[in-house]
Amino acid sequence: MISTPAASFSRRRLLAGAAGLGAVALLAGCGGPAAARDAGPPRRGGVLRVGVTGGGASDTLDPHSPAANPDIARTLSLYEPLVHWDDAYTLQPAVAEAVRPEPGARAWTATIRAGITFHDGRPVTPDDVVATFRRITDPDDPKSGASQFGILDDIVVAGDREVRFELTEPSPVFDQYLAEYSCGIVPADFDVENPIGTGAFKFESWSPGQQSAFVRHDGYWRPDEPYVDRLELINFSEDDARINALLSGQVDAIDQVPLSLTEVVGSYESIRLLTSETGAWLPITMRVDVEPFDDVRVRQALRLIAGREQMVNQVLSGLGAPAVDLYARFDPEYLDPEREQDLERARDLLSAAGRPNLSLELVTSPIQAGTVEAAQVYATQARAAGVEIGLRRVDTSTFFSDQYLQWEFAQSFWNTRNYIPQASQSSMPEAPFNETHWEDAEYQGVIRRARSELDATARAALVRRAQEIEFDRGGYLIWGFPDRVDAHQAYVGGLVPNRTGLSLSGYEFRKAWVSA
Amino acid sequence: MTKMILKRLLVSLLVLLVVSLLIFAATLLLPGDPARAILGQQATPERVAALTEQLGLDRPAWERYLSWLGGVVTGDLGFSAATQGPVSELLGGRIAASALLLVLTALISTPVALALGAWAATRRGTRTDSMLSGSSLVLAALPEFVIGVLLVVLFATSVLQILPSVTIARPGEPVWARPEQLVLPVLTLALVVIPYVVRMTRATLSEALDAGFVEMARLKGLPERTVLVRHAVPHTIGPVAQVLALQLAWLAGGVVVVEFLFRYPGIGQALIDAVANRDVQVVQAITLIIAAFYVLVNLAADVAGILADPRIRHASGGGA
Repeated sequence: MISTPAASFSRRRLLAGAAGLGAVALLAGCGGPAAARDAGPPRRGGVLRVGVTGGGASDTLDPHSPAANPDIARTLSLYEPLVHWDDAYTLQPAVAEAVRPEPGARAWTATIRAGITFHDGRPVTPDDVVATFRRITDPDDPKSGASQFGILDDIVVAGDREVRFELTEPSPVFDQYLAEYSCGIVPADFDVENPIGTGAFKFESWSPGQQSAFVRHDGYWRPDEPYVDRLELINFSEDDARINALLSGQVDAIDQVPLSLTEVVGSYESIRLLTSETGAWLPITMRVDVEPFDDVRVRQALRLIAGREQMVNQVLSGLGAPAVDLYARFDPEYLDPEREQDLERARDLLSAAGRPNLSLELVTSPIQAGTVEAAQVYATQARAAGVEIGLRRVDTSTFFSDQYLQWEFAQSFWNTRNYIPQASQSSMPEAPFNETHWEDAEYQGVIRRARSELDATARAALVRRAQEIEFDRGGYLIWGFPDRVDAHQAYVGGLVPNRTGLSLSGYEFRKAWVSA
Repeated sequence: MTKMILKRLLVSLLVLLVVSLLIFAATLLLPGDPARAILGQQATPERVAALTEQLGLDRPAWERYLSWLGGVVTGDLGFSAATQGPVSELLGGRIAASALLLVLTALISTPVALALGAWAATRRGTRTDSMLSGSSLVLAALPEFVIGVLLVVLFATSVLQILPSVTIARPGEPVWARPEQLVLPVLTLALVVIPYVVRMTRATLSEALDAGFVEMARLKGLPERTVLVRHAVPHTIGPVAQVLALQLAWLAGGVVVVEFLFRYPGIGQALIDAVANRDVQVVQAITLIIAAFYVLVNLAADVAGILADPRIRHASGGGA
């Protein structure tokens, strides 16, 4: 089940005839590791060693402020939110067996799963859940999930296993906010020095920026899981080192194979690629409040310049899907409109806007694999339409310096979200990351109504309307949804494609097993 | 002679002081600010403000320099912004790990390089000599990154799979607990250092072997071995020590690249991480450590040169 997509993948890539062919032939000629040993049926026991991209001395075990990938992987191993996104990006119960709105959706009640316990054996109580959300939204030290809980008025104990979230306005999608990985439930007396949660793995030890080790949580509520006795997460700051570690057998799985290297890695008989379609997106951001982007014709012209298929092919080595300036592809209401490259119309629009010889500076940075390449390909395409785009490359720290959110023409990256939660993060004036400074009165009205609209049909219509507006007037140029490609040894089983945009089955290593 | 050595020592200290100023100025020029770099995309104005104050970034630069220098002199390297703990705590194990790489490399490459150089010098013009000279020239031309990648392909991933390609230490476990992980990083560094020293040894020894006093010794009928060891070799100690020192000093910097490639948990990796995090105190500490090592090794080479040079040794009247 895992090997099939990977195998067809490399075949397709080989037929595509990329420049990497020589390298594949060379490496294949050298002979990879000994014959592949397949994972077989699920089995218990063993150690799973995983190489994870990023991290450093500022690594944290704090469930509510994970920043780098290794932080997220640790968070998802140790802690669990009330509900969570599964591999298909649908909401599933986790610590709560149910999360239901009251009529009017001005309050939601979560029922804690019966018999669920923390790593130290204590049962999860409503008090723990209340304390968790007080910790996240602490006004003196708000955690990374806090911004989406602006509508949370109060949270109270409502029964032996019930917790009630009282909201300042109706919110029919409040359960989606609870599902973020940065909302893991912790005991009321939580101390980050003693990281206790309900996750499948218990904390054992770690050295920041290097490695962390976990052992099975025997009282875990899902039957049979986790399969492995021990989990080791190893930080890698460098792509080559991570891939070498996999090829030399020092780790069992790695996240984020650079898309240009998938052929080489996939040509090893003992290695399986794990390719996931995701709703992640790498937009070019135009600030709609400054010249020349304040003219919608300029924004539309710049969007028409993008050859999206070509960008997906060149930037992502074909591993992804073209996008048309809208995010949230897995939202049931996703519009999926059409916008083909049209240099003729782009030129006309620019002339109409009085800017026939437009010259711009695009700020780019390796904030995510593919961003710099995307800027380069796009700049080349723009030249054909008479738009001169100079690239200003900065390092990631500079990119996220105090100028972040101020760049006029830059880039960004986001993971999978549905439309309303994403708009609340990036397209509303009060959103914490409104990169495009988008302040469209009609749009805001539609989103506000959609956020509190109880009728599902009416809400769907509003979400579609919001997308139409953003498609016509928004400040994002969204050219593609990159696939996520991870790799693991053939003897690792249980890892499946996952839509969240997080690597290796959403970093849920409880699902993985290793054959002896 | 003692005066000369003391003078060198004083100069070294002055150099370090200037370097400390340069380091401090350079870290001020790093774009972006530490608070935002640490918080990344999660930076909200309140969190940035709190962290900025916590890190003391609101104080004037000269004040920060003086208090930093004062700390360095008393052994206090300050607080790391990224870990929120003392820098010395963060670096302790890493300095030991890097020092291990350097010491192993020096221990292996020095005798090998000197022996190979002497061997080539005494066989000038033969095929072994030209083979040795040729291969050392090729190796000297390759950057350490390329050598490292080639070794990984050869011994760890593609051709043979007999050595680990990266260093993975369990939490709390020192790097030397799994010695096989040290082989490729040390080998890479050694292959970078050896060629220069081989070439320098061969050149200076050849020059000495051609000199008049060696011919005189030969004419006096001394055995070739005595001529080599008693007359020719002492003349090469000064220049070879200089090259050796330069190479070892270079190692302190080259280790950054090699640690990056092999995921070796030393100061090089810490430096890259600290630069990315704008963890200024850590960047300053590591750069100063590397600079101090550089100065120290050069000082040692100078002293070795002074001690080895019979003219200086005898002109100053003492020393024997």
